[in-house]
Amino acid sequence: METIIKLEDVWKIYQLGKVEVFALRGISLEIKKGTFLSIIGPSGSGKSTLLNIIGCLDFPTKGKVFLDGKDVQKLSPDELARIRGKKIGFIFQQFNLLPNLTAIENVALPMVFQGIPEKEREKRAKDLLRMVGLEGRINHKPQELSGGEQQRVAIARALSNDPEIIIADEPTGNLDSKSGKKIMEILRNLHLKEKKTILVVTHDPQIASFSEEILVIKDGKIVREGKNIEEILWQKLKNERLF
Amino acid sequence: MTTLGILIGVFLICSLLSLSEGLKESIISELRTLGKEVLMIFPGEITDLSSLFTAFFGRGLKIEDETIEKIKKIEGVENVVPLDYGASLVRYKEKTKTVLLFGYPRKEAQELFKMNLGWKLDQGRWPKPKKREVIVGKLVPSDIFPGLKPGDKIYIKGREFLVTGVLKSLGTKQDDSMIGLDIEDYRKITGFRKGSHFALVKIKSGVDTERMAQKIKEVLKETQKRKAGKEEIPFTILTNEKAGSIAGNILALIQIIVFAFASVAIIVGGIGIMNTMFTSVRERTREIGILKAVGAKNSEILIIFLIESAIMGIIGGILGTFLGIFFAKFVEFYGQVHPLLYFKASITPNLILFGFFFSLFVGIISGYWPAKRAAALKPADALRYFE
Repeated sequence: METIIKLEDVWKIYQLGKVEVFALRGISLEIKKGTFLSIIGPSGSGKSTLLNIIGCLDFPTKGKVFLDGKDVQKLSPDELARIRGKKIGFIFQQFNLLPNLTAIENVALPMVFQGIPEKEREKRAKDLLRMVGLEGRINHKPQELSGGEQQRVAIARALSNDPEIIIADEPTGNLDSKSGKKIMEILRNLHLKEKKTILVVTHDPQIASFSEEILVIKDGKIVREGKNIEEILWQKLKNERLF
Repeated sequence: MTTLGILIGVFLICSLLSLSEGLKESIISELRTLGKEVLMIFPGEITDLSSLFTAFFGRGLKIEDETIEKIKKIEGVENVVPLDYGASLVRYKEKTKTVLLFGYPRKEAQELFKMNLGWKLDQGRWPKPKKREVIVGKLVPSDIFPGLKPGDKIYIKGREFLVTGVLKSLGTKQDDSMIGLDIEDYRKITGFRKGSHFALVKIKSGVDTERMAQKIKEVLKETQKRKAGKEEIPFTILTNEKAGSIAGNILALIQIIVFAFASVAIIVGGIGIMNTMFTSVRERTREIGILKAVGAKNSEILIIFLIESAIMGIIGGILGTFLGIFFAKFVEFYGQVHPLLYFKASITPNLILFGFFFSLFVGIISGYWPAKRAAALKPADALRYFE
């Protein structure tokens, strides 16, 4: 299977006054098309930073990031915006819906920036909301929806431009376990049925168990990776220091 | 709150512009009353705006009858009309009020008023010479003695006078509130038997006004020298041209003041919008991050924020224009009720258009910088903002 994301010796260093904080320390990574990968690690391990860099929301201090073989640091701001809008769909822990827009308007928003006509936007947004089981809530604003419902709207929004990659940063972090499970099932279905590449950041082994591959990160370094999820997660239980 | 800054700015500009324009028109119309072939002599020196007022109201100086006779003899002078004013108690029906009386030699002055100063009757007729008749200003029947009409009788210090006519507006509240009577009657009533506050000099047509003014000055100088031993003459001779230049000076002064105030208003309004826009950008940093994460280009973020600041500017502008006009109208109304300079607030379509486009312009200009900053934010930084 072809490589869709490739990282070569990626470093991210934040300058906080006179102190240098190393968020990522020389990460190299290859992700194949159609992968369902969970990135797990304790707070402050650098997993969200890694996800931001993969999603073109941030740049590494050092190292290279390739998307479909293209070096993203060589792309113009407009090309990056197009990639974020068309190629990648984001799901955030805080849902990040626009509070003044209704569910359907939030879902249609990424299509506005891709120049899709209004009627088509509306139809596709409706279809997506139906897919996530929110056909009855399309005209509700985020504050009128539960956390689980808001996250489903966010998933529908992430899918609006039919992206190849879905990046989810702690997608169940603000949800109860039942809603969290539902969200993960939607993501697994997207992977199985639509062959989307899905990257999920979590610190919850149960959530990570939905994925097919796992990558453990600690202090900005990859400490383990592989498809033997159960073994890796068992290791976590045995050695809490890993997380 | 968001549009308050621009609202205050546009409010200040609109009210100031309409009032200053109105004031300008009122002063121009006042100074234009002087006809081409008429010179005005009055005590005091006009050098600036403040001395103009003291010249009119402050000094007790009078032009002596002897001087007037001498001026009459100057070649090229057609006539000299002494004018005087003073307040007195006037009774109409049951009401007694203090009113400004205006004494003028009926026969000569009335012609001059009609022909050279453009005075017109609103109702009735002009008083006839040697009769106990008066003419009243436009505001007398409306404000001072409501219901007064030609044919009615009024009593000035117990003497009965017949009101024969009402004048059309002369341009100022003071002029429109006067009662005009023959100078002989005026002198009997007030007891001022000699001299006058003003004199109008009618010169023959074709004679150079400036040269005449010079000649009159010489006569005045001579009298002054003989009487008080001084060279300087405490009088001003106002010609049509000089009045024009005084008007020019006053207008320039008004324009400088308005420009200064308007500049402050513009800066206040602009800073208000800019501050609002910065606050808005700060408050919505995360929203900008979301927009960028879902594919918005920098230029699109810039446009979104510019449209927003333009809308904010326009809303502030419309409200500011409306309030400014309302305030100017209020001041106009206040000026009519109270004895101030009485003028109309000048509200033109141009002023309204100016308010609209100015606020739009300020909105866009002051929104540009914060919008540019918003557009330049890194998506990850923007998304992390409140986290």
